[in-house]
Amino acid sequence: MISEAESPQGGSQAPAAPNPFNFQTQVISTTPVKSNVGQRRGHRYKHSSVSAQHQIFQEPPPRPPPVLPASLPTPTLKEAWKSLQRDQRMRLYWGLCHVAIAMFIFYRSGGSLAAMALSHLVFFDAGSAAVCVVVDVLGNFEVWRRSSIRHPFGLERAEILAGFAMSIFLLFGGFDLLSHNLKHILESVGDHEAHHEHEHAHDHVSANSLDLVSAAAIASTLVSAYGLKNHARIAKVMRVSYLATLPSILSNPFHFFTLFFSALIALLPLLSISLYDWLDRLICAVISLAMFSLGMRVAVAQGLMLLMSYGGNRGDVGVSAVLREIESESGIARIDGAQFWQVHYGLCMANLKVIITNGYDELALGKLRNRISTLIQNRLGEGYGNGGNVRWEVTVETTVDTTI
Amino acid sequence: MDTSYSLPSSALPHAHRAHTRSQPPSLNNTWRMTVSSDSLPSQLEDDEDGCGDHDHDHDHGHSHSHLRSKGYSHSPPPLSPSFLHAHSYSYPHHGRSGSQASNASATMLQEKPLVGGIESRSQGRRNRYTPEGIDETTHNHAHNHTHSHDHSHDHDHDHDHDHEHNHNHDKHFPSHLHSHSHDHSHDHDHDHDHHHDHDHSHGVGTSTGHSHGSERSLFTRAILPYTVGWPILYSILAEKDSRRIFYFMTLNFGFMIIQAFYGYVTDSLGLLSDSIHMFFDCVALLVGLLAAVMSKWPKSQRFPYGFGKVETLSGFANGILLMLLSVEIAFEAFERLWEGTQTKRLGELFVVSSLGLAVNLVGMMAFGHHHHGHDHGHSHGHSHGHSHGEKHDHGCGSHSGHSHGHDHGHDHENENMRGIYLHVLADTLGSVSVIVSTVLTSFWGWSGWDPLASCFIATLIFLSAQPLVFSSAKRLLLTVPEGVEYNLRNILAGIGQQRGVVSYATPKFWMDDHGGEKLLGIVHVTVARGAALEDTKDRVREYLLKEGIDAVIQVERDGDNGCWCTRGRALVNPPQMSKQF
Repeated sequence: MISEAESPQGGSQAPAAPNPFNFQTQVISTTPVKSNVGQRRGHRYKHSSVSAQHQIFQEPPPRPPPVLPASLPTPTLKEAWKSLQRDQRMRLYWGLCHVAIAMFIFYRSGGSLAAMALSHLVFFDAGSAAVCVVVDVLGNFEVWRRSSIRHPFGLERAEILAGFAMSIFLLFGGFDLLSHNLKHILESVGDHEAHHEHEHAHDHVSANSLDLVSAAAIASTLVSAYGLKNHARIAKVMRVSYLATLPSILSNPFHFFTLFFSALIALLPLLSISLYDWLDRLICAVISLAMFSLGMRVAVAQGLMLLMSYGGNRGDVGVSAVLREIESESGIARIDGAQFWQVHYGLCMANLKVIITNGYDELALGKLRNRISTLIQNRLGEGYGNGGNVRWEVTVETTVDTTI
Repeated sequence: MDTSYSLPSSALPHAHRAHTRSQPPSLNNTWRMTVSSDSLPSQLEDDEDGCGDHDHDHDHGHSHSHLRSKGYSHSPPPLSPSFLHAHSYSYPHHGRSGSQASNASATMLQEKPLVGGIESRSQGRRNRYTPEGIDETTHNHAHNHTHSHDHSHDHDHDHDHDHEHNHNHDKHFPSHLHSHSHDHSHDHDHDHDHHHDHDHSHGVGTSTGHSHGSERSLFTRAILPYTVGWPILYSILAEKDSRRIFYFMTLNFGFMIIQAFYGYVTDSLGLLSDSIHMFFDCVALLVGLLAAVMSKWPKSQRFPYGFGKVETLSGFANGILLMLLSVEIAFEAFERLWEGTQTKRLGELFVVSSLGLAVNLVGMMAFGHHHHGHDHGHSHGHSHGHSHGEKHDHGCGSHSGHSHGHDHGHDHENENMRGIYLHVLADTLGSVSVIVSTVLTSFWGWSGWDPLASCFIATLIFLSAQPLVFSSAKRLLLTVPEGVEYNLRNILAGIGQQRGVVSYATPKFWMDDHGGEKLLGIVHVTVARGAALEDTKDRVREYLLKEGIDAVIQVERDGDNGCWCTRGRALVNPPQMSKQF
């Protein structure tokens, strides 16, 4: 979160960041010195010759500087704005445009339930486009990537959290549309006469604008997909198998749904009025179901990460295979505990406690450790082909087996 | 009995077990004696104000009459291990705390603000050793009783117990109160008779058996044996939180069915759409229930840190959902205001929303006390006043005791329950706003009341969901809270002080979800040439364990730069330096 209140002088990146040091002369409170003047005993100055010889002043044991900063400044809105590069600024503007288009579709949907459902989808797209932009901008700052004591993994997990929130939006939107649809049907069943006239009126209004609506939806989706790489990361985690064979962005379920449904809606006005009425509801129901199932999958995929689990690369199976392989290494008696989990889209952790056989020498130990980490990285890192690379941070705790 | 034991044991929070042993049997005996001699009531009355009196009276009367017969009958239900927990737990702390309380006299009760559970605990311990404690042995006993009751939570039975002693409890363990709420719905059915039974048994000294019974409402105990065949259902009913959610969900669902049926029969759109709304509530509750059940699942290879975060996740989801809902409500309200839609069928709307309000009020009571420290005071008062006549209030009082034990076991704050509570609260507010706006509209014909009320409620919901979302987001981001961070910095600096350690790298620590201030994490330690790797690792491990950190420690020889942590350092540090200056 970017808040005005925090860290006014924080932005590490901003060029005009205020100097962290204060070079002005400061008057340190003089009272204690004064009070001591009359009654000074012994040596107060550790650099006086006496002190140096007699070690009256003991230095505190030297402490190395902390490895990690306790916490890093969170950028404020202003700093974030200043840190924007040119292309980032363009992306930000486009994100705003996308939201505006979603609003436009929502208001132009008029009486068509399907168009309203489409506007929900576009809202979702716009939302995750905005998340993409924000993530991009925050990437300018150190808090984002660097770990501190406060945020051991930086703030990058926030992206997953935002994605999870978006998936809640999908679920909610799906439910909401369904209930709207239900109410509509109930109403039309309740009073046939009145409703029919109603419906007709809608048709005339919407027939003209539906084309415009779907065109806007398609255009904005395409721009976001190519310009922002919208949904790219989450799609990699999910990988819907039956869409995977489709070309480029169509293989991404999010883009697929938006494009598919907007094309469908563009065709709607061509149909006869009586058919239109029912098709409209049908499409709305299908969209809401699609939103619901998609939302479910996204929520699960991201929920797993938030629960500190590893689900990628067939998750459990992959991990078991790797563990078996590690166990078969010479010198390893057994694995005492292994924790494989995904921190965020780009980082996984593997923490192993390994019992090694007695008499293993140190050099070999280092090599063993390296072997284990390259094994894990190669097996689970999905480095090749997919273009995505997940980094594995491997920690191996070795204990010498004393039982033998 | 055996089978029932085996099932829940896995589900139970760890904390409880430890306590069981600690319970000194002697306490029970002494207590018994005091009761029979009637010395206790008089003493208590002296010390404490009127509220105390109620309790006592109750106990005595009951205990005598029922003791034997009922006590026995109940003891079988005790199946659940949880009972044991409750007992044991209460004894150590309460006994002491009780004595303290009595010493302080009734005034303390009121004066003592709601202290954190931990604080009160420690107080209790301290008091143990004071001379005062000795003087007031009788008092202590009395207290102990209460405790056992509290644990039992349960509603029905407990009440009597609670009341007697409640005073002490409240003062010391404000936190307890939280949990109480659960059982309310249950309790109603059966409470009175049972109350007595329980009390009696206590008096007799079969405290364990009693405590068991008291933990759950009669209703729960009645159906529990039948659910052994369905492990899922059993595990839901065996746990306090999930049980509460489950019962309320059932109530909600039943109400939804009735509403939908009547709506269909009478062709009423208002009823039908409200039942759709109810259905969504049920779904939200179902998610919460799922989270409550899942949170008890053990660690596995797939979930190396267990499911402690599930409840936080569900709380987060609930918070987001509420925010979305409030935005939608506000949207619709503006739309209506814009179009000037007239609200139709006021009467029907009024009836429907009052019914919804009733259901949600039950839910509010069920979940209400959970997270607020403040409520303690409240519940207390209630329990006293009502103990005689009303089952409801009793339930509350008893609950509190329970929750305490539980809460400690898992986590200070349960985001799941908080999310559900907020959801129910939002629904209640919604019903209230509809009722108010229909009344206003029927008096003054202006159609703007409803949108106005909706907007108001929407803001309220949004604001109330905000803190929940933020706190759960922080936990999900693995943020180390401020107080812990401060300690952690010192602890980390201490790693460098260990013999043989040259430096350490990539310390990453995060909170363990299973309670307390414990941390989990990793650290890479560089060991000086000449020091044994193994010994140094053991030293660091011991040091960290002493500080409450369970870490995976990788030891590297000084100068061996093979690990990624050194690469990371080389990469990360220079740019950082340049950025900072």
